[in-house]
Amino acid sequence: MNLAYLDVRHRLGRFIGTSLGVALLFAVVLAMAGIYLGLVDDATILVRSVRTNLWVVQQGTRGPFADMSRLDPSIVARVAAMPSVKRARAFTYQVMQREHAGRSLRFALVGLDFPVDRGEALALTHGRPIVQPHGEIIADASLGLVIGDTLHVAREELRVVGLTKQLLASGGDGLIFATVADAQLLAEDTPSDAIRAERERRTERLRQTDLGRAQPALEALTGDPDFRAPALASSPIAAVLVDVEPARADAVMASLAQWPDTSVFTSAEQEQLLLDGVVDKPRKQLALFAVILVVTSSLLIGAVVYMMTLDKTHDIAVLKLMGASPWRLGGLVLQQALAIGVVGYGIAVAIGVQAFPHFPRRVVLTEDTVMGVFALVLTISTVASILGIVHALRVDPARALEG
Amino acid sequence: MDALRAEHLEKHYGQGDTLVRALQDVSLRVARGSVVALLGPSGAGKSTLVKALGLVSLPNAGRIWFGDQLVVDNGRLLASVQELRRAHLGFVFQRSNLVPFLTARQNVEIACEIGGTSNPKKRALELLDWLEVGHRASSMPDTLSGGEQQRVAIARALANHPKIVLADEPTAALDKVRGRAVMELFRKVAREQDAAVVVVTHDHRTLDIFDELHEMEDGRLSPTALATVAAH
Ligand SMILES: Nc1ncnc2c1ncn2[C@@H]1O[C@H](COP(=O)(O)OP(=O)(O)OP(=O)(O)O)[C@@H](O)[C@H]1O
Ligand SMILES: [Mg+2]
Repeated sequence: MNLAYLDVRHRLGRFIGTSLGVALLFAVVLAMAGIYLGLVDDATILVRSVRTNLWVVQQGTRGPFADMSRLDPSIVARVAAMPSVKRARAFTYQVMQREHAGRSLRFALVGLDFPVDRGEALALTHGRPIVQPHGEIIADASLGLVIGDTLHVAREELRVVGLTKQLLASGGDGLIFATVADAQLLAEDTPSDAIRAERERRTERLRQTDLGRAQPALEALTGDPDFRAPALASSPIAAVLVDVEPARADAVMASLAQWPDTSVFTSAEQEQLLLDGVVDKPRKQLALFAVILVVTSSLLIGAVVYMMTLDKTHDIAVLKLMGASPWRLGGLVLQQALAIGVVGYGIAVAIGVQAFPHFPRRVVLTEDTVMGVFALVLTISTVASILGIVHALRVDPARALEG
Repeated sequence: MDALRAEHLEKHYGQGDTLVRALQDVSLRVARGSVVALLGPSGAGKSTLVKALGLVSLPNAGRIWFGDQLVVDNGRLLASVQELRRAHLGFVFQRSNLVPFLTARQNVEIACEIGGTSNPKKRALELLDWLEVGHRASSMPDTLSGGEQQRVAIARALANHPKIVLADEPTAALDKVRGRAVMELFRKVAREQDAAVVVVTHDHRTLDIFDELHEMEDGRLSPTALATVAAH
């Protein structure tokens, strides 16, 4: 016979009331954890969604996100030629703002190394990966674009062929993926001052080549914004993504580190670089709130369970005179505390599943979080029952004999 | 054979000016199958004696035997109090003291369970039937009359076939008729369960039910002839 259950059933109202109160507290704890995970997820989703092992970036920089990294595109081939490298891809990244359909569109533009990388690794909610070398993009739905929309930039038409969901840059801007070539086109579609400067740089570079010295007439071409001489291609890339056999990752990294013109990071290091800047402060705030809530819910459960035990003082004395063991009496209190915690937590999870998707901030409720907080709830309930258990064990059986 | 034997029990509360000698050299033997009454004025030490015999509040000195087992020697307990309670003792209180969140049957059943009875539910129903409250088995205590509650409480005291049943003013909350009915049940318990039953009572109208009467006064116990008390 389970005394804890029978007692709870006898005072169902109080039990449910307490469980609901506790449920609200736990729901907020879950929300805190979920918001934090959402922050982490948002900040690092780009690094994870490109799925690579190593990031080769410009020497001395911390990569395309935390820093400004510029690499010569020829490095891709150099990396690809290394042993144990399965694949090397060019990667560009630039945050930009352009007019679209009468509004200002702010996005982070990622260049994919077409045709090696068509964006198959991205989780598309609609549409397809990129199949043409030019004119196709994958955009995040948060930008308000739909399949078939066309962006007019740099005299090019870029058509949306695929959509992602919640794929954001660490700053919160939606991502657009294009081929590296298109991304560079857009990147070069800069205001006139910058164009003039770039034109002069091109002329300068042209003059340094044999071709330029032999045919000065070519200089006229550098003024044409549509002209791109392959031999003069200088548009830098931001990074090289290196896919290696996992077992050989350390070795490849070690030899890449020897190169004078590059630095190399693992994907995890890139994620950490992104997190360092964005997540630290909110994490502390959320952790503080969570601690306060945990303490509050422990006190609430503790107070209610203690009161329930006080109310049963006489019954506990009677049970002691029957010879009930301390285990049975302590267990009675502990089980009730656990029941409040578990039922409250069940309600909290249900609230979370229903409500979190409607939150303005992204709340990530993972199985790990649910299980982790559940373990915390069991601990809280156990700790909260201590006062009640001590009281139950101290009850003098003589009280049963008093009227 | 004696189910319960106490020798030279002493119990005092407080010290110095406030010292109360609640039990003074109290000795008592109660045979199996007999029901005895403890009488005496308020403050005489009746409840103190019951608590000592029930190992609830141990005496400062003296010895107590349950059957032929010495359980208290010079005020010290010689075995596990839980074990002794489960194996030997049944309590009936002034008010029924039923656990309010358990039905009548569950109140008896939990006692059977604690005592380790093999089929507690069956035993509980048998006891309730035996005490003629079987029809209220699934009622909550607060819906039972005082007499019914007290019968359930007696059933609970009998859960583990105790050889000693202690009752402290079990009929105080009952009217004359129901009080007498309960007292008659104690006699039935003594006879049919072969237990020693000790009942503290103020109700002199039911004394004919008892095999022996003991009168307490200022912590001292003296056997009283049935006739003497009946004359009160
Ligand atoms: N816990 C205690 N602390 C101090 N004194 C006590 C305690 N319990 C009982 N006494 C005293 O011991 C004496 C005997 O008390 P007891 O309760 O045994 O009397 P009683 O015969 O049961 O009386 P009543 O008929 O009123 O129930 C009384 O003087 C009482 O005041
Ligand atoms: Mg008394």
